[in-house]
Amino acid sequence: MRNSKIFWLLSLVLVLSAFLAACGGGDDTDTSTETTDGTEGTEPAGDLDSEQVLNLMESAEIPTMDISLAEDAVAFNIFNNVNEGLFRLNQENIAEPALAEGEPEVSEDGLTYTFKLRDSNWSDGTPVTANDFVYSWQRSIDPATGSPYGAYMMAGSIVNATEIAAGDMEPTELGVTAVDDNTLEVQLERPVPYFMSLMSFPTFYPQNEAFVTEKGDAYASNSENLIFNGPFTLTDWDGTGLTWKMQKNPEYWDAETVQLETINVDVVKEPATAVNLYNSGEKDRAGLSGEFAMQYANDENLVTELEPTVFYFKLNQERNGEENALKNVNIRQAIAKGFNKQDLVDVVLANGSLPANFLVPTEFAFDESNADFREVNGDLIEFNAEEAAELFATGMEELGVEEVTLEILGGDTETAKNMDAYLKEQLETNLEGLTINLKAVPFGVRLELDEAQDYDIQTAGWGPDYQDPMTFIDLFVTGSAQNKMSYSNPEYDALVESAKGELATDPAARWEAMAQAEKILLEDDAAIAPIYQRGAMALQQPYVNGIIKHPFGGDFSYKWAYISGKE
Amino acid sequence: MAKYIGKRLIYMVITLALIATFTFFLMKVLPGSPVASADKLSPEQRAVVEARYGLNDPLPVQYFNYMFGLVQGDLGISINQFKGAEVTDVILSRMGPSAQIGFQGMVLGTVLGILLGMIAALRQNTWVDYTSTFVAIVGISIPSFVFASLLQYWFGLKWDLFPVALWKDGFMSSVLPSVALAMFPLATAARFIRTEMIEVLGSDYITLAKAKGASGSEIAFKHAFRNALIPLVTVLGPMAVSILTGSLVVEQIFAIPGIGEQFVKSIIVSDFSIIMGTTIFFSVFLILIILLVDILYGVIDPRIRLSGGKS
Amino acid sequence: MTQKIDKIPELPKGSFERITLDAHQAERITKPSVSFWQDAWYRIRKNKGALFSLILFGLIVIMAFLGPIISPYEPNAQTITHANLPPKIPVIENLGILDGVGTLGGQEVDLYEMKNVEVNYWFGTDGLGRDMFSRVWKGTQVSLFIAFVAAAIDMLIGVIYGGISGYFGGRVDDFMQRIVEILTGIPNLVVVILFILIMDPGILAIIIALTITGWTGMSRVVRGQVLKYKSQEFVLAARTLGASDSRIIWKHLMPNVLGVIIINTMFTIPSAIFFEAFLSFIGLGLQAPDASLGTLINDGYALIQFSPHILAFPAILLSLIMIAFNLIGDGLRDALDPKMKD
Repeated sequence: MRNSKIFWLLSLVLVLSAFLAACGGGDDTDTSTETTDGTEGTEPAGDLDSEQVLNLMESAEIPTMDISLAEDAVAFNIFNNVNEGLFRLNQENIAEPALAEGEPEVSEDGLTYTFKLRDSNWSDGTPVTANDFVYSWQRSIDPATGSPYGAYMMAGSIVNATEIAAGDMEPTELGVTAVDDNTLEVQLERPVPYFMSLMSFPTFYPQNEAFVTEKGDAYASNSENLIFNGPFTLTDWDGTGLTWKMQKNPEYWDAETVQLETINVDVVKEPATAVNLYNSGEKDRAGLSGEFAMQYANDENLVTELEPTVFYFKLNQERNGEENALKNVNIRQAIAKGFNKQDLVDVVLANGSLPANFLVPTEFAFDESNADFREVNGDLIEFNAEEAAELFATGMEELGVEEVTLEILGGDTETAKNMDAYLKEQLETNLEGLTINLKAVPFGVRLELDEAQDYDIQTAGWGPDYQDPMTFIDLFVTGSAQNKMSYSNPEYDALVESAKGELATDPAARWEAMAQAEKILLEDDAAIAPIYQRGAMALQQPYVNGIIKHPFGGDFSYKWAYISGKE
Repeated sequence: MAKYIGKRLIYMVITLALIATFTFFLMKVLPGSPVASADKLSPEQRAVVEARYGLNDPLPVQYFNYMFGLVQGDLGISINQFKGAEVTDVILSRMGPSAQIGFQGMVLGTVLGILLGMIAALRQNTWVDYTSTFVAIVGISIPSFVFASLLQYWFGLKWDLFPVALWKDGFMSSVLPSVALAMFPLATAARFIRTEMIEVLGSDYITLAKAKGASGSEIAFKHAFRNALIPLVTVLGPMAVSILTGSLVVEQIFAIPGIGEQFVKSIIVSDFSIIMGTTIFFSVFLILIILLVDILYGVIDPRIRLSGGKS
Repeated sequence: MTQKIDKIPELPKGSFERITLDAHQAERITKPSVSFWQDAWYRIRKNKGALFSLILFGLIVIMAFLGPIISPYEPNAQTITHANLPPKIPVIENLGILDGVGTLGGQEVDLYEMKNVEVNYWFGTDGLGRDMFSRVWKGTQVSLFIAFVAAAIDMLIGVIYGGISGYFGGRVDDFMQRIVEILTGIPNLVVVILFILIMDPGILAIIIALTITGWTGMSRVVRGQVLKYKSQEFVLAARTLGASDSRIIWKHLMPNVLGVIIINTMFTIPSAIFFEAFLSFIGLGLQAPDASLGTLINDGYALIQFSPHILAFPAILLSLIMIAFNLIGDGLRDALDPKMKD
């Protein structure tokens, strides 16, 4: 009797599990057909599938879709696809006219730009006018808006931007005016050779004044409260969720180029989950972090992209106002030369990164004759164990110490921790008398410690904001926001200043000045110790074509993407 | 009873007020800047932003503003994670999925755990017993993130029985996360029920029931099971906590738009208002569970007098 | 008892001896006097699972200290050219397992041969070419250290707090219990996370974070026990017989409460180890390059499909520790319960 009850229960469990398995069975056939279809189709590109749907993943949610407030990669990537500015990076990553009709008229002194706007509409059908740009830029520079990129991008280039950001002038005094509905005039403080690429940056996109004012506080709080003028529109985003869609925007001026109908995006923070979703056929592309890059090294669908982002050690010479061992240039040089970068990128990172002996990345900035800035300036500070050991010994002698203990402040991601562990071991082995302590903290905490200059060595990275070496070169001028490490060299400052000022109209001399500045920064002063230039690996289904990766602004353009061979 | 519950509710409010105070001041000593992108804002801009969120007010003013808002159900505004969003809205929008997988996991775990424990007790010291003990111990021995990713890999990817991740296919999406969350309740319930059942089965009144000729199943279910169930209520609290903790991990692995996942993120980006709001939300949940357990305990077991307890 | 006796056999004479009642003999204890501990030991010896677990745990502790020493490699030493090697153990490799063969790009290859590695790594290596054998044992050491210290602090605070609260009762108890109630109202997970954020991350931060609310559980249990026993008949009897307060506490209350304290600690230790692993997952664990079982599992779990050994060894060890502690805890619960004296 007792037995029978238990067997009854057991069989209930069995029936239940069978039922669940059966349910799953249905799913099974569904997805597997999808996957086989995907791998079979390897027809030549150009044949479009009838269903133009792209399934993507992001690693973080959207913090805000307000163009003036955004500062993160996810939002910038969406802006690049649902909005558009005067210029847009094309398939070759060159800024080409978008909302601007042709190249602008530039005054002889290089200080006044006059853009003609093409006829284009917002997603609600109203035209995009020059005033939308004026409004947007003024909104971003207004200190009351608290835009992180507004002053950052405009100050020092656009007339009065610096004063407005400081609260000394009204936003309406910004050097941008709508001559008429289709003509925009921009006044610059100094010639900006890279102004066109700047115009492709989301901060310089237009915003629809009527719409923003009407929505008030609700503006940009979800996809209902947004308006678009790019290739796609954002839909199904509730403001805090982990999912959204991009739908083809019929009002877009170049809508006929756009092939994709829908892009489904889901936020997946766990790298392992992302890879599993890709393998199940649910997603068309998955970025590969650290360990996964290694595992899929031989996968035929692997795409490797070199990013113009450089990682380096910031060597803080004054921690909390007190000078430390890093004040000594020999110690700094020893550290910069004291670790094997090749092994790091080959084994630890293994994601297509390059060892960096420079600050300005390779394949990023080109001069008039199309020569890479890197070819001009070469390798500046390389790994050399013996030299490093000598320099370190000299440094310690000069300081009169027997041993040095330094802390490396790093990120708390798996990759960052691994890398820091490797670097610690390298430095301690190569530099006798050095002890490294590692400290991994969340990004927000690191920012604060950086702000307070409460660290010895910090692993930091920098990606460009526009296509010019200057976006890297001027990072460490005396007193700059990135230079929270008490580095100061008048010679370097002067070179940066001249490249920004009097040399702005002389490209060759300007290039030379920037090259010189980089030399001083790395070779002479070892103010920072470059580590690597980041590579990115992703798995991408072969039927996905035409996703363009950009070096700055939004990471990707889907405008030219299409699905071919999935069916 | 009503009087007891009323008293408990008052205590609850006081407790919550103290927790809110505690977290509020904790946030003030937490490292990290309350305003994101501090490195890009000029001091003037920063001052404007801080003024907007009332971060420049003297601490007592900030505190009273916060407490005043709290009374009205206003948990403040997110500054970093979702710029300008109401924390209350954020939590509400993320509550559904968490509640669903949490509830399913709890029910599934408890029911299976009870079954497992009962079978083990009735078949004490046989292979059935050993197997169920083994399952129970393994259940609490494997970290939830390992278990969850194994589930995802095998049941999601390899055997394709359930969605790998994401919150798109309704109930089917919730199965694997619920199972992952169920492991702790399952193991706890199984161990608990087994011990209690064995004790009850050896007690005098079972012997009496046997002597009176009650059948095996009657003894197992009518007498032993019911009495063994009572103490299980006491572990509901720890189980609820485990579900909370588990949700952080499980939601992240299965990419579920829940509170736990969002809480981890808010820590990473130092969004103090969300950290604080979520802490208070979790606390309310936990205190309610504790209250519920105490009330349930009194209802189920008449021997416990609620108002008493002290000698 | 249930044996049926058909017929009473004839008993030989002299089998019985007449005794005279002697009042003095009534107080004599014939059973040898065993102390509380002797008794507990006697009973735990009979519990095979607990005994086995005790031995297993002993071995793990020994290995935790011996492992890093017998391994030819330092736990943090990196040989970058030896990264990601699967385990290889000299004799066992002939059986076709642990023979250094791993998958690379979907194919099975002997990675040792491929990378020209002459030496053997018993548990393989990780992504930085660190010896997993010494790392796993070092990690075990760290995990156990964190757990034991956290448990000891929990015990100390919990026993004192709970003891005072229970023994004095009344207003003191009321007040002290309100504080505990508040502390338990905040989910411990949140408290732990917040404290780790405030302090510099590391072993100390984790221990403090774990104990900051961890002791409340212990204090509750102790208080409950003290409350329960202090009004019981045997305490009353002792008091009536003129036993001092300290004698009551040490001789009568303690043995009863002690069991619960030990059992509670037995369950605190694994949960501390577990929590540490959880903290590693959300990125708040130990600082690199230090390893604990938690950080090792966290490092390994992303590699589960390709280098399963990195996850397997720490995970197995963690499970063994958890199983051992749970079985020891169960065994102790039975052994230390004075009601179950036989």
